[in-house]
Amino acid sequence: MTGIRIALAGNPNVGKTTLFNALTGSRQHVGNWPGVTVEKKTGRVNRNGHAIEVIDLPGTYSLTAYSADEVVARDYILEEKPDVVVQVVDATNLERNLYLTTQLAELGVPIVIALNMADAAEATGCTIDRERLSALLAIPVVRTVGIRGEGLDDLLDAAIREAETSPYHEHTVGYGNDVEAMIASLVGVLAADKDLAERYPLRWLAARLLEGDENALAKVRESPVSSRVQDLLSAIDPDEYEATMADRRYDVIAAILPQVRTAGARGMNASEMVDRVVTDRYLGIPIFLALMWGTFELTFAVAAPFAALIEAGLAWLSAAVAGSIEPAWLASLVGDGLIGGVGSVLVFVPNIFILFLILSFLEDTGYLARAAFIMDRLMYAIGLPGKAFIPMLIGFGCNVPGIMAARTIEGEKDRLITILVNPFISCSARLPVYILFAGAFFGAAAGGVVFLLYVLGIAAAIGSAKLFRHTILPGESSPFIMEMPPYRLPTVWTSLLHMWSRGAMYVRKAGTIVFAGALVVWCLASFPFGVEYGSSASLAGALGHLLAPLVAPLGFDWKIAVALLFGFVAKEVVVGSLGVLYGTGEEGDALSMALLADPGLSAVTALALMVFVLLYTPCLATIATIRKETGSWRWTGFSVAYGLVLAWLLALIVGQIAPFFLGGA
Amino acid sequence: MSNMIKGVFGAVLGALYGGLGTLQIAAALTGPAVPFVPASLFWGCVLLVIGAVLLTGVRNLARGLDDGVVFFNVGILLSVSFGVISLLAAGAGALEAAIAGEAWSVADTLAPAVYLAAIGAAGFLAWCRAFFRGLATA
Repeated sequence: MTGIRIALAGNPNVGKTTLFNALTGSRQHVGNWPGVTVEKKTGRVNRNGHAIEVIDLPGTYSLTAYSADEVVARDYILEEKPDVVVQVVDATNLERNLYLTTQLAELGVPIVIALNMADAAEATGCTIDRERLSALLAIPVVRTVGIRGEGLDDLLDAAIREAETSPYHEHTVGYGNDVEAMIASLVGVLAADKDLAERYPLRWLAARLLEGDENALAKVRESPVSSRVQDLLSAIDPDEYEATMADRRYDVIAAILPQVRTAGARGMNASEMVDRVVTDRYLGIPIFLALMWGTFELTFAVAAPFAALIEAGLAWLSAAVAGSIEPAWLASLVGDGLIGGVGSVLVFVPNIFILFLILSFLEDTGYLARAAFIMDRLMYAIGLPGKAFIPMLIGFGCNVPGIMAARTIEGEKDRLITILVNPFISCSARLPVYILFAGAFFGAAAGGVVFLLYVLGIAAAIGSAKLFRHTILPGESSPFIMEMPPYRLPTVWTSLLHMWSRGAMYVRKAGTIVFAGALVVWCLASFPFGVEYGSSASLAGALGHLLAPLVAPLGFDWKIAVALLFGFVAKEVVVGSLGVLYGTGEEGDALSMALLADPGLSAVTALALMVFVLLYTPCLATIATIRKETGSWRWTGFSVAYGLVLAWLLALIVGQIAPFFLGGA
Repeated sequence: MSNMIKGVFGAVLGALYGGLGTLQIAAALTGPAVPFVPASLFWGCVLLVIGAVLLTGVRNLARGLDDGVVFFNVGILLSVSFGVISLLAAGAGALEAAIAGEAWSVADTLAPAVYLAAIGAAGFLAWCRAFFRGLATA
């Protein structure tokens, strides 16, 4: 069996990951907006005696890479030299997609074009002559519909053929006499460096140098021919060359398109019409807020009966354990520690799954891309590109992928600010804390309180971004150009799959991190031997009393202090720890009742606590991701310290102001 | 003619959403609720947004602008969607009451978002199905 490596490349949101999943049977996350894939993913498939490795690359509009994810795509093709590059092309937007084709062709790698979303193009009455397109580009063109798995066998066969014959595709674009003369001069100089000539196609490298590509300049900086290259480049204006070369590529595309495409009737389509309303200057943001509130209302209300069933099941289990396990300490460990701790987190599984189902639906329809668009004006006003709102939206699920999605941001300072403010976006792990406290202390208004906390998280992120932009990370933000994906009606199966892939993470955490956290907190609450479980005399009490002065101004007692400390590991552990500390394993909604019965807690304290949990350090995984993405312990430490200070201050302010609205409840 | 009927329908429905939304907010902020218009700040705001979308459609239709129909259609879609959200929430409340063995009355579900959505659904069936079918296949 021979091995072949296929790289899937293409513009953002053309269906690469859908095709990747269809080819390899993987279940990588697919979203209806650009920038979902920020690092390469690998899968395998066998076909006609070939073991094929498929690599899904982040989307890129051109090989003149600007953002971190685009560099990943380009460097993989250049450095790893896959046997064949399958360029996934959106058939509904040939002109823009073929721009990348002209650049890939310059690399000389074997290419196959997957003409994807062919059904959508045909639905508009557009026909594409694939054979003619293939003949003009000297590249095989295969019709595919990734979402239905159409054309996959043909695509693999074409890729295998190309990989085995490995034809070298000569450049397809002539840039005019002046540019060609400069390219020839540069190629002549670069050819003297054998190492460089072996690693990169010299014509491609020369073209990139003329365009002033920083990445290409870095590649020749260490070369012995560097000074001669610099001499040649010093005489030209790279911006002018870049514009001329881009014009030439578009000239080629403009010459090809009329020969291969018959356009359908082109009026304003339904997607564009709906965008008139949902991206309206005045109504766009109110509609977005209304939909987000509807999301939390549903999350709260629909999950309630399912949560009640789980509570009843856990209460039964806890009672059964208490009556059948000896000795008493083991019954306490299982009942108070494991069932009380893990169970108090599992109760919120329905809320988490329903939230993810709705967010997946909104994402898959294409609406969340519009949300990023309507926030652009606000983001630009604070000095960030509108694109920075996409990592924030992803952060609603989990801050880790949200922070990684900042790789799509081009400016280094923009990217850093986007990373630093992402932890303020309320991830799903914080939801159980809100539901527990809002449900217990705010009754019917709980959904609205949770909604306001999410809005506060966005406001804290935006306010902090503005502060950073005007103090420690000054600069201008780059303009926002985002392609609006078409609206699509997601299938029930797709939405359920997305819900499961995200929600399962929560269940896994309950079985691992929360389980371990509950064990530790139970030990702290039970030792030293002989003390009353969870009392002030226990180790947990000692630890809590040590921390209590720090949180006393916020109205939190020692139990809350201990829960917040363990919340550093993961936010769900806050609820798990409270479940253990209050010893509430034996009744259905016992933890809510215990919190309500605690004289030290009130609606005001609950509100301050939820604000604190929203803003303080999210979890260890997020901290590790900030360290990885910034490459700096200094920025990581700053993020943790800033979050803690902001959480403390805002919780204090809420504690002082809220009594005026809640009547000191 | 069709746009004329849509305009009148949108104006009446938009005004109802605006009026009842204002009542829900007022009841939440100041005092007792009107029967079948429960006090709710957030639901009131949502109703105002739906009303604003519908009335923008009516204004644009009156000015002869093409996108008037689009605002009308999206307003109707929002009306139906929030009606469904309200019904789902009410259904979950009924289920929860059944599990807990508590009393539940169908009158609890009667809120403006539900009965106005019934009018919106009639408009959807009459005018909007083709438009959103086109959207789903776009």
